[in-house]
Amino acid sequence: MRKYLDNMTMEQRRNLEGYGFISPWIFGTLFLFLIPLVQSIRLSFSEITQLSGYQMAWVGFENYRKLFLEDVNFIDYMTRAIQNTLINTPIIIIFSLVIAIMVNQKIKCRAFFRSAFFLPVLLGTGYVMDQLLGRGVAEEAVSAAQQVISPDGPLSYLGADLVMMLNQFLARITEIFWKSGVQILLFLSGLQSISPALYESAKCDGATSWEMFWKITLPLISPVILLNFIYTMIDSFTDSANPIVAYILEQSKSQQFEYGAAIGWIYFIFVFVFVMIVFGIINRFTVNLAEK
Amino acid sequence: MTSEAVNKKPKVKAIKKQKPKKFKFSPGWVFVYIIMLGLVCFTALPLIYLICTAFKPLDELFAYPPQFFVRKPTLKNFTDLLTTVSGSSIPFTRYIFNSLFTTVFTVAGTVVVSSLGAYGLVIHNPPGSKAIFAVVVAALMFSAQVTSIPTYMVINNLGLIDTYWALIVPKLAVAYNFFLMKQFMESFPRDILEAARIDGANEWTTFAKIVMPNMKPAWATLVVFSFISNWNDYMGPLIYTTSQVMKTLPIALNTIAGGAGTIARTGAMGAASLLTTMPTIIVFTAMKAKVMETMTHSGIKA
Repeated sequence: MRKYLDNMTMEQRRNLEGYGFISPWIFGTLFLFLIPLVQSIRLSFSEITQLSGYQMAWVGFENYRKLFLEDVNFIDYMTRAIQNTLINTPIIIIFSLVIAIMVNQKIKCRAFFRSAFFLPVLLGTGYVMDQLLGRGVAEEAVSAAQQVISPDGPLSYLGADLVMMLNQFLARITEIFWKSGVQILLFLSGLQSISPALYESAKCDGATSWEMFWKITLPLISPVILLNFIYTMIDSFTDSANPIVAYILEQSKSQQFEYGAAIGWIYFIFVFVFVMIVFGIINRFTVNLAEK
Repeated sequence: MTSEAVNKKPKVKAIKKQKPKKFKFSPGWVFVYIIMLGLVCFTALPLIYLICTAFKPLDELFAYPPQFFVRKPTLKNFTDLLTTVSGSSIPFTRYIFNSLFTTVFTVAGTVVVSSLGAYGLVIHNPPGSKAIFAVVVAALMFSAQVTSIPTYMVINNLGLIDTYWALIVPKLAVAYNFFLMKQFMESFPRDILEAARIDGANEWTTFAKIVMPNMKPAWATLVVFSFISNWNDYMGPLIYTTSQVMKTLPIALNTIAGGAGTIARTGAMGAASLLTTMPTIIVFTAMKAKVMETMTHSGIKA
């Protein structure tokens, strides 16, 4: 063994050391992600005959057939999940970019504003937050804001439908505010990496700040926009408030593990393809600094 | 001496005169401040609500129309929470201990495992590292709910059900954490590593003494994210533990919220929510300076 180690080339040694460093992670992933993953594929093609010993019988595509042909909820939940992601993602990106640009200015209490915008992330991912949202804080916050923006009086003239639409709109805005903390942070680090010299030389050439935004900031920050798009979409697709994810959870609660696995796989394949398509589209508009 | 001082004076003045220009309050800036403050109010609302609810006396909790702010703050909710729970079965402090213990070890473990892995993958770049990274990216998109049952079987076969191990081990090799560390590691200056190697440092010393201290902002960020997600994790303790003594705060919260006498416990629930939220805020505040450091000191410090 010793001799073998001595006879290795430099590169072989480096590779071995590399594997050594990665090995804890590989072990963890293998046992707690890849093996369960393969198991869940098998599960989705089987039926559990005995729960205690985890015994399965092969049933082929039965679960998948049921999913597409019999389940009335699946397509509905799926469209709702896609709809949510499609509407929320661009708004979150634009909102967080605007906030990041504002916070990045030389304003007073910068640190305070940065922390304040990150605050919802601390609360938002938690179970506590789910509890709070379940008890209608969102609505209360919305109604509090509403009373400031538009008092009850004039609202009653608008008609019930319009008021409901307005409420839904405000609720969505609230949701977006509370979900863009990480994106703001990512945008901020992207903005900070742009060299101030670029802005200075642009200013010398007589560019307005509007032109500088479109010609300097936006192209240079485009890799971060791509990253944020991917992050936001995945975050939205795997969120436990997502109807499909909730549906999968419901399946395992009612002990229909094999059906839950089947839904999970179809959903995963869909998310994967969807994210790849979006990645391909946005990547075309992304400025690659390495090429320049 | 005197001539120098005279020479210096105008310079200082010139700088001082220039500075206020940057902070000029034009109507545009006032507008930006107003918008920002409005948004901050929006984002701070849940926290304010949380704090208010925890201190509300019973009659204010059920007032109609609901009150947002607390009028007569009281500590009764906290004493309720800490005394009655301990009277019935398991003291609330036990849940706090469980949560703290498992979260601290999970966060420490995942930082070590992810940084080691990212270092090996990016710096050594052994054959197959592309495949490993592909697995990481795929794992990012996979919702944990799908593999939860097979994972349970693995944990069960290892005989770890209802131990602290079951709450820590499955959350060490998390794809997201690895991804984050890998991204930061990519921009790590290789020159420093070369210099260390020439000075005779072995791989482990390089990692522990050079890479980790310099990557502090990166893993500080990871600590914050990982702490938040583990501290608030509900599914893990629900699936992997069976006895009530092993449960963590989120489960305890659920019990308080949904258990018998729900109405009477609403105040205790508010207090428990606040207690559960505090640690994440403390960790963020403690780490904030380092997280923000990422942005100011990027690259090599001369």
